[in-house]
Parts: sequence; structure tokens; C-alpha cells
Amino acid sequence: MKSGSRLAQRLIQLGVLLVILGAWYWGTLPGRINPLLLPPPAPVFRNFWVLLTTSSIWPDLFVTVREWVTAFLIAAVSGCSLGYIISRSGYAVKVFDPLLAGLYSIPAILLFPLYLLFFGLGPGSKIAIGTTIAFFPIVLNTIAGLAYVDKAYITAAKSMGANNLQMFWSVMMPAAFPIVLTGLRLGCIIAFLAILGGETISSLAGLGHRIVSLAENMESAQMFGNILFAIAMAFIINGVVSFVEARGKRGMQ
Amino acid sequence: MTDRKGPIMSPGIARLLAIIALLVLWEVMARLYADPLFLCPPSQAIAALPHIFSDPKIVNAIRVTIYEVITAFIISVAVGMTIGLAVGLQGFTKQAILPVILLLYATPQATILPLFVLSFGIGPAAKIAFGVSHGIFPVIVTTVAGVQNLRAPLLTAARSMGASKIQVFTSIVFPHMIPSFFTGMRLGMTAVLLGVLLAELYVSTAGIGFYTRLFAESFSPPDLFALIAVLATIAVTLNELCRTAERRFSRWHAS
Amino acid sequence: MSRAETVIRVEGVSQAFGAPGDPRRVVALESASLDITRGELLCLIGPSGCGKSTLLNIIGGLAAPSTGTVTIDGQPVRGPSPQKVAFVFQENTLFPWRTIIDNVKLGMAFQGVAKSERDERAFESLKAVGLADFTNHYPSQLSGGMKQRAQLARALGLQTEILLMDEPFAALDEQTRMVLGEDLSVLLARTGKTIIFVTHSLVEAVFLADRVAVLTARPGKIKKIIHVEEGHPRKSSFMTSPKLTALRNELYALLHDEIRKTMSQRGETSEGA
Repeated sequence: MKSGSRLAQRLIQLGVLLVILGAWYWGTLPGRINPLLLPPPAPVFRNFWVLLTTSSIWPDLFVTVREWVTAFLIAAVSGCSLGYIISRSGYAVKVFDPLLAGLYSIPAILLFPLYLLFFGLGPGSKIAIGTTIAFFPIVLNTIAGLAYVDKAYITAAKSMGANNLQMFWSVMMPAAFPIVLTGLRLGCIIAFLAILGGETISSLAGLGHRIVSLAENMESAQMFGNILFAIAMAFIINGVVSFVEARGKRGMQ
Repeated sequence: MTDRKGPIMSPGIARLLAIIALLVLWEVMARLYADPLFLCPPSQAIAALPHIFSDPKIVNAIRVTIYEVITAFIISVAVGMTIGLAVGLQGFTKQAILPVILLLYATPQATILPLFVLSFGIGPAAKIAFGVSHGIFPVIVTTVAGVQNLRAPLLTAARSMGASKIQVFTSIVFPHMIPSFFTGMRLGMTAVLLGVLLAELYVSTAGIGFYTRLFAESFSPPDLFALIAVLATIAVTLNELCRTAERRFSRWHAS
Repeated sequence: MSRAETVIRVEGVSQAFGAPGDPRRVVALESASLDITRGELLCLIGPSGCGKSTLLNIIGGLAAPSTGTVTIDGQPVRGPSPQKVAFVFQENTLFPWRTIIDNVKLGMAFQGVAKSERDERAFESLKAVGLADFTNHYPSQLSGGMKQRAQLARALGLQTEILLMDEPFAALDEQTRMVLGEDLSVLLARTGKTIIFVTHSLVEAVFLADRVAVLTARPGKIKKIIHVEEGHPRKSSFMTSPKLTALRNELYALLHDEIRKTMSQRGETSEGA
């Protein structure tokens, strides 16, 4: 299979994007697709620009970000702590790791109505669902990282006379770090997605709530603009978090 | 970290006891401290199950949800595999289109959920469409990965023994794709469940979403817990079916 | 070599996995006895699975024998003895998140060396193995041969009397092995350490060792001990000498049947068990 040069690839991808944009423009010319379903690109991008340059979105943005950061921090602290405790004993790992993996396979979004009942429509229910969903990759990766350190390192350190404290801080923690960091990256991103989902289903404020309100008010161009904003935010978060993870793993095999 | 020589009890039993202990703890704490408007002990949730099942409208909503999941799943797998094969087998299309697909895969789909409902209405169509929108991507990605993994030496060996293109496809490509097919199915099922349930919960005027909102707004935790437990059980069962199928049909796979 | 003093005494060491009567029971070692002289380099050689690595781990206190005892300087071995014994392993056990000089210093920290002494000792050890210019490199930035040198430096930094090496050069190409072997011989002559060296390579065993202990197929017993009368540091001319060739042939004759036996035990040959 011939692979073209990088430039050719980039050109093709640009071409595909242009085709999509072109189809969008052409499809929304007057008399074609219902502008309530798909507004033309110009007003959408105009709205997107307004969102970027004015502070209109900031209150809702702040709500979402606050929910997200809170949820992630709670999930990170509890996930790493529980993961550490479980990893101390091989038996505990055998008992609890499959249990946690099993719980992870239940679509946690089902818990959201319960959180709505318990915490109400405010940020609490969003933070709760974000924490719940982000908790699992963090705790599972912490267990995996600490409990499955390459035996070769442990043997070598033991042969050199390492005591338990040295073994933990100088061998197991650094060895586990890359895996734990991956878990934290996953948890961070999943928390954001879960909170957007919760806000969409039911909330009083936040990015998801804005989009839903605009949909209910049939403000299609603005809704699309906000959707673009939320998608852009998700990509930026993904990029930043992946970058941090890569930097954290620098220097390790 | 040392392993005991001869554990006290098997991990499976210990796990069961841990779950029972948690349920007992929940029962006791809920009875003692919980405001019955917000929380209920598990015994009351179980007691509410007959109430759930005796209401034909609720049962119908559950049935419709299952139908939506299965339909979305079938469409995701069929369309996903087709796209995956088309994209994966041809180097050119792969390099051009795969990044676009991955880009779409990474978008937070919750933000476009209102769009789906606006376009398809509040009936099953929107939920199926949203489910497909979630499920199609892991199927495409695993199919493409499965095609990529086809080791060239296997193909060369077959050709050197005189296999025709059709024989190569049926006896090498096709059996090789089976593990990734089942993996894609498993991941697709998880994604479809997420999509359909998200859409159902969003639409609070019909279906499951109506009842979750009803039970939440009328502060009836036993009914809400019971309904969610039923849905969770269905989801886990479907996931497990796919996982078991994957295990059974991938036995020859070294990894 | 004036002193023929025994520093390590291995008596009747056996190692079995699984209870007697268990059909999956594996007897890795059976009644191995060995006296190791101070300052000698002893090679353990034998077919795969003959228990040579097990024996090394037992001597170094990383594993406990099912029966028998090991004493070092008269003291029974009951666990790792970092003050007396340092290991060099086959697989890379350098910690990838630290530079090699930090790896050497960490080993000393585990052993209990005072912080003030570590920097200089670490540098000297790396210099002794020829890595003085690479002290701040990470293991991933080094070649296979350099990584093993760094492992050796870490072991040397512990300044132990005894060095246990488990196929340290197995993952390296033959040319690197030859060079490292010569360097090891020079090191031995300079420091007078006692070294036990496990290897698969016949030529390596004869080139390096004062004595070569040949183990049988599982269950491993010491079949024969061959003496190599040649002073350290071994010269590269020894590698091509008739003396080495004769000893190598003797080793081959001893090992050939054991290797065949091992492979038929595993069902790897077309001959019957």
C-alpha cells in the first residue's frame, strides 16, 4: 500500500474539511434544509466569534469548569487513596479489582437521576456524576500501577538491601507513576464529558444547559455556536491533559 | 506485598461477602439516618420492583429502550464494519478519512444530543440515531485496527502456495478479522448503551426519561432505585453477552 | 593466588516446587554441594531449567532452599546480604526513571552508605566500567552493552566482596560479550572479588572462569567441575588458544547429553523421552 507524503495527506484532510464546509454552505442556501435544523455556516461562526470575544458565556463556563475541577479532584484523591490501599495486599487486589472493573461496566449515567433526586438540579448532582464516572479509571489504574510493578525492579532493590519505605518511595511509586498518570488523564477527560452530559439532561446553568435552552428556544445559530465552543473546549482539554501526561512520562521507558 | 500461601477464603467468596456487607451497611444507615424523601434502604427498593413491573406503561418504556439498544447496536456493527473495512483496506482512504473519523470520535456527543432530538423528535428514532452515533466509532476503529494487524508474511505464505484472491480472503482475512469483530462488538455495545440511555434520560416527556423524572420529582426513591436497578441489570447482561461472545470466539488469538 | 580459603560453602542444597506427590512437582536442584574459594571466578553452566539461576539466587539469599545450607564466611545465609553480596541480573533492572549515576547512588542508599560518600563512589564505579562520560544519561539512552556495564557499576558501587552474575551478557551480541568478558577479567584481577557467573556460553565460561561447574538436566545436580589454569587478567590471545578449545570441547562433551535430555523432557526433539 503506497503511502503518500505527509503533505499529500494533510492536503487530502484539508480537502475533506473543505468539502464538508462547502456542503454545509450549499445545503443551507435559502429554500433547502430547514435553518432551524441546520443553520448556515456564517451566522454560526459569527456566534462562535461572539462567544470567544465577549464575556457572555463566562458565567456558564465558570459553572461547568468549577463542577469539572471539583469532580476531578475528589475522584483523583479518593481513587488514588483507595487504589493505594488495595494494592498493598495481593489478596485485596484479587478480591476488589474485578469488583471495581465490574462496576465500571455498568453505565454510570444511570445513577444521574438518583443524584438529581438527592442533590437537586444544581451543581451538586453534576459534581456527583462526574466524580462517580472519573473515579473508576483512576482507581483501576492506580491498582494496576502499584500492584504490578515489574518484579525485576523489586528483586534488584531487595538484593541491595532496600527497606520497605525505600522500596515504596524509590521503586514502586516511580514505577507506577506513568500508569497512574494515564488513569488521571482518562479520569480528567471523562469527568468533563460526564458533566456535560449531566448538564444536558437536567441543570440550571453551565455549558450543557446553555445548549439545551437555546435548542428549546429554537435559536439554532447560537446553539451551533455554543456547541462549537463546547467541542473546542473538549479538544483543548484533551490536548493539554495529554501534553501533561507526556511530559510526566518523559525520561521513562 | 506478599501472597499468602493458601488463602483464607477464595477471592470470589470474599468479594461476595464484601458486596453483602456493603448492602447491609446501606440498609442499616438508610433506616437510621436517611430522609425517606431522598434515600431508601435496598429492601424498599426491592419491594418496589413489583410496582414497577405491574405498570404496563413502565414495562413498555423498558421494552422500547431494549429495542432501541438492539437496533442501534445492529446498525452500528453493520455500518461500522463496512466503513471500517472500506477505510482500512485501502491505504489511501485510510490516511485521508481515518483522521476525520477519529476527530468525530473525540467530540463530546452530549453537546449535540439536543440536535438529535430536534431532528428526529422524542420517539425511538432519536435514541437509536444517538446510539448509533456513539456505537459506530469503536466498531470502525477496531475493524481498521484488525485489518492493519494482518501480517504480511501470512499473506505471502498463502500466495506462495498458490491461493487465489478469494481463497486468501476466506481463509486468511476473514478468520483473522473475527477477534477484532467481537472486540468491536463489545466496545460498540458499551457505547450504544451509553448513547441510548443518555438520550432516554434527556427526553423527559416520554420513555424511561419520563419515569426517572417523575420518580425524582415526586420524591419516590424506592421506585427510582428499582427502575434504575432494572436498567442496570439489562445493561450489564447485554455487556456480559458481548464479552462472553468475544472470549469464546477469540480463543486462538495469542494476545 | 596464595589463599585457598573457602568463602562460600554450599551444602546439600535442594530446591523443589510443589508438595511431594503433587504431579506438577518440579525439582529444580538436587543436593548441590560446592565450596567457593575467595577471589575465584566460578562459572555455573548447564542446560535451560537445570537450576543454575535458582542456585545463584539461593546463594545470594533471594530464595530459600528446600533442604541444605549456604554459609558465607561461616555465617548461614538467611536473606539478602547486601553488605557481602551484589547481583547483576540478565534483564535490565536499572530504574528507567533515574540517570545511571542516580541508579548507582540509589543502590548505595539501599545498602546504607552515607550520603556524603555516595557521589564520589558512584563516579568511581562508573569510571571503572568506562561510563564516566555518560553519568547523566538515562538507561533508555544507552545501548545494551552500556546498560549492563551500568548494572555492573551499580553492583561495584556496593563494594561487596562477592559478585553474583546471572547471565549478564545473554542479551548482548557476541562481539559486545567478548569485550565485556575481557573487561570483567581485568576487573577481577584488580579487585580480587569472588565472582559466581551463570552462563549458557561454553566459550564464555572457559574464557572467564577459574573453575566451571557443570550442572545436569533437571533435577539439577553438579555433574563435574572443570579447572581452568590460567591467570587473570585473561588475554585476548587465550580466546583462540588450543587450551581453551580443548576445555571447551570437554565442556561440550559433558553438556551435550544434558541438553538433549532437557529438550526431550520438554518434547522438543523428535527422539523419544
